[in-house]
Formats: sequence, structure tokens, C-alpha cells
Amino acid sequence: MADVRLVDLTKHYRRGGEVIRALDGVTLDIERGEFVAVVGRSGSGKTTMLDLMGLLLKPTSGSLFIDDVDTAKLGDRQRAQMRALRVGFVFQEYNLLSGLNVLENVMLPLRYVKDGKKTGRARAVELIDRVGLTDRVHHRPTELSGGQAQRVAIARSMVNSPSLILLDEPTGAVDTETAQQLVDLLKRLNQEDRVTIVIVTHDLDIASQARRSIRLKDGKVLSDERVEVAAGVA
Amino acid sequence: MEVVRNIARHKLRSFLTISGIVIGVLALTTMGALAENFNALLDGGVKYFGSSIQVGPPDGQSAFLIPITKVDEIKRVDGVGAAFPTYQFQAKPGSAPSFSFGIPDSIIAGDPAENDWAALKVTYAQGHALDPNSTGQVVLGSTIDTEFHKKIGDTIDLPIKPPDAKPDFVNHTFTVVGILNVTRTAPDTFAYITVADGQTLLKDSLPTAIRDQIPVAQFAQAIDVYGKPGSSITDLDNLAVKVNAQVSGVKATKPSDIVNAFKSGGAIFTAITTAAALLALIIGGLSVVNTMFMAVAERVREIGLKKAVGATTMNIMGEFLFEATLIGVVGGLIGYGLGAAITAILNATTPPGQSTLFLVTPALTILAIGFATVLGALAGILPAWRAARLDPVTALRNE
Repeated sequence: MADVRLVDLTKHYRRGGEVIRALDGVTLDIERGEFVAVVGRSGSGKTTMLDLMGLLLKPTSGSLFIDDVDTAKLGDRQRAQMRALRVGFVFQEYNLLSGLNVLENVMLPLRYVKDGKKTGRARAVELIDRVGLTDRVHHRPTELSGGQAQRVAIARSMVNSPSLILLDEPTGAVDTETAQQLVDLLKRLNQEDRVTIVIVTHDLDIASQARRSIRLKDGKVLSDERVEVAAGVA
Repeated sequence: MEVVRNIARHKLRSFLTISGIVIGVLALTTMGALAENFNALLDGGVKYFGSSIQVGPPDGQSAFLIPITKVDEIKRVDGVGAAFPTYQFQAKPGSAPSFSFGIPDSIIAGDPAENDWAALKVTYAQGHALDPNSTGQVVLGSTIDTEFHKKIGDTIDLPIKPPDAKPDFVNHTFTVVGILNVTRTAPDTFAYITVADGQTLLKDSLPTAIRDQIPVAQFAQAIDVYGKPGSSITDLDNLAVKVNAQVSGVKATKPSDIVNAFKSGGAIFTAITTAAALLALIIGGLSVVNTMFMAVAERVREIGLKKAVGATTMNIMGEFLFEATLIGVVGGLIGYGLGAAITAILNATTPPGQSTLFLVTPALTILAIGFATVLGALAGILPAWRAARLDPVTALRNE
């Protein structure tokens, strides 16, 4: 059974009198534990697809199923709850809250889950350890390097043990070496937690390390290739 | 904790915003305490005058003298429960008039039994009531006692001799037998003596030429009339009409006329002081609105992120509302604290013999802090609504 299923998923925007077909009838399945790269030029629909999968946007038409739940039937509150429990986000600019320390940033999603803070602290500490930042737990984001900040963002995305993590250009703001370290971390988490990872990237080197690469063009799927373990991903 | 950090993040801006609320609540507390004090004074008047009928000389008579036989005539009017002759004199004649919200120090002569009929009852901090058949005894109100530092058994010369008194100025020595508890109204500045002593002072107050020709024991300056127990103010109004109709040579004033005059005076004063303070507070509230809008504008990405990780519209709205409310609470507490401290200091430094100006009541405390809290919350609604309605996709990519 697919973890994420897109069925003829379409998102159109209206800009002035013109209709922009950001995503145009995409159908695909992503199974639990997959590591998927979404590539394509600017304006190809990558980020729109990610936002739709993360329930930040509502589609113009088509269906999106996450863990067999038809998201079209969810109200705003239920969509928020699904984002909290089943989806993790990582952004290019980290989006850490400057007023919170590392532990508090990682624990942020727990606020919006019933009893999350009670049970989630240990999970947050464990994740901080797994991303190698135990010695930075009480540091503020301004005291971290770009790579460290993105590790915090990755830990935050996993704190509620979601089944799906969506990453939008997560290596776009760091150097090549740090980018590779982050990808290695993601691969490790993908293997250890069997969490589905969908990463939007311009970086073909990064994309080549995913097990599956989906190329978008003009809002449509141009290619969808699975790569056997060659990239070193189990 | 995060909300405290958010407020602390922009120290100067938060300080200025909270200062706006502080100034407003400070004004509300001090002006409100002034109004509360004034109202407590008026409430005493309302209580006293609402429970008795004031009977004086008829309109057109300049001398405040009524034949004491009128007391018995009034008692015979159906519905009258009691009637007492009274006399009132300045305790400090010749003193320069000064602006005060209090009632000037006065000597009141009457029957101690009147206290049993009056709605505004006095109680004794020390000593006891006057012996109605005695002379030379005095019971002091709390303020006048503080002014002259008297204790039970001390003596006091009344009226107080002014520094520039003429050689023929007359006063008498009284022994303090009782000191009253604070009432925050008229009795605090009164010295109570017996009817016999009142008549002596009445004689002293008459012009020398006629002093010996008037048998003062046959006159009262005014008569306090009480209805049967359980009489309402309407009953007393009707009784005043009956007294006027059945007893010649006197004028009974309807209690409701006096009470309404007190109430309208109090209402106007309260309205003026409270409106001025609320205006200041609302201006403070607008600064909270401005601050919260700025906070929303600065934290667009934060709002987008929170929505992305599961915050609902109500979560975001609640967070911003809480922040605005906290600003109101902090401003309210500081403003109230400062206001209460200032009024306490001013009351403590009021010269002896003058009534204090401020009264901070529990109701005022609740009003000041509660209004600041509600104002903060109201001021936060629009910014919080704007924050909550932000599209997360747009917010997340906000530069």
C-alpha cells in the first residue's frame, strides 16, 4: 500500500487574467520508507507538489492520500493535526525560531499535539543526539552554523515520528561538504526509522543519491526513475 | 516562556507599549481613588440624609432658630418615630477657608440616642457615648481626634480659639469621653456634645445685644426627624409633606431631594475623573494594537512555520492574543501598583485635620487591572486575527 498517493493532482493559480498550471494532473505513488528526489527547473511545480503533499495547499482538483486518508475530506483543523502528526517539514532557510534554543526548536511541533510536551521531550533529546548536536542543546540558532541549524530543522521534522518528511532545497544554503553530511544524515534516518523522505532539489548530485528521482516539467511528471542501491542507499 | 521572550526581544518597543498602559492605569487608579473617596463621603451623606427628614426654619427666615416645642409637635404627626433637636457650629471659627473634599470640622450637639435611629451609625474606637444629661463631655471623630492628638480623659477647648481672636471670644473646656472609628464621611470631622452644651454654644454665638434676651433652651437650630422603623425614603418624603402641612413655622425637606443632589454630584465627579482616565488608557491600548501589528509583520515566517508543523488558526490566534493580554496585565499591574503607592503616600502626607483624598477599594483594584487586561486582549484581536489568517505557503517564503 502506498504511503502517499497523488491521483491526477492539479493546482492552478490565477495571476491577473492568466491561469498558471503549477501542477497539472500528477499521478504517482510513494511507498513507505522511500527516499525520493524531486527535480526540475524553477517553475516546474516541485515546490507546489511539496506544499500539496504537506497539506499547506489545497489542490484545484485531484486527490491526495496520505496513509490511506483522503485529505480532501479533512477540515482545516484535521489538516493541521495531520501536518503535526504525519508530516515533517525542512526548509532551505532552516526556519528556526531565534527566541528558542535548540531543544525548544526541536520540541516546537509537540505544542500542537495533545500531551506532546509530556512524552516528546525524551524523543527530542534523542533526535538531537542522533543529529550530533548534544553539546548544542541549549544554544540559540544564532550560535549555530548553517549545517548545524539544518540538523536542528531535521530533528524538528522528526520529533512527532511522522511517516513523511518533506524537504524543500535543504542543502541550498550550505556548502558542498555540509550538504553531503546532511544527505548522509537523511539517508541514515530514512534507513533507521523507515520514514518516507521526499526532497526537492536543484542539486543533481544530491538527487542522484536518492532511490527514486521524479523530474517535473511544466507541472507534469517528465520522468520517474528508480535507482537500485547504486547510490549507496539501502 | 516564549511569549515573555517575544516581549523581551524588543525591549524599548515593549517598554514604551507597556508604559502607555501603565500611564493609563496609573491615571485610572489615582483618579478612580479620588472618585471613590468622594463617593464614600457622599455615600455617608446619602445614608444619613436618606434615613431622616431635615427640619429647619421656614423659607424666608434668616435666623436658624426653631422653637423647641416644635419637636413635640412633630412627634405627634402620624408616622413620625422620633425627632431630635440639633445644633451645629464651626469647630474652628475664623480659620482661612481651604480647598478640601472633606467636610469642615464642626461641633454637633444632639441627643446620643439619635444614633439608634440613624442609618449611618457611629461606633467607638475608644471610650463611650455622651451622657445625655451631662455637660462638658465631647466625643471626637477620627480626623479631628488625629488633628488634636487627644485620648480619652484629655480636655479640648471648643470652639478652637483662632490666633487672631477678639478679647471677647468665648470657648469652653470639654473632656474627651469617646473617640469614633473612621467612617470616611461626615462624623470623622465632627465633635459631638450634648444638647445642653449646644445651647450654651448657641448663646455664645448670638450677638451680644440680644444674647441675654433669648432663652436658648427654648430653641433648636434644626430638628432631625425619623419615621417609624422600616420607613422607606418614599415614606419619609410623604412624611415630610405631612410635617409641612401639620406643623407651622418649620420647613421639612424631602430626603429624596437631598439624596438626589448628593448622587448627581457624585455621578458627575465620577464621570469626569473616570472618563479622563479611560481616555488615557485607551490611548495606551492603541499602542498595544500598533505593537502587535508590528509583531505580526516581523514574525510572518514564524507563523508560517508554526502552521506547517501543525498549529491551527486558533493556536496562532491564541498565541498572539495571549501576548497582547500579557502586555495589558503587566502594564495593569505596574500602573495599579504605582497608582496605589502614590495615593497611599499622598494620603499619608495629608496634614492632620484634613480629610485624605484617595480611597483605593477592591472594586477599583479589579476595575484597573481588569480593564487593562481586557484592553490588552481586545487590542490583540485584530493583529492576532491577521496572523491566524496568514497563508502558510506565502508566510514561509516571506522575505
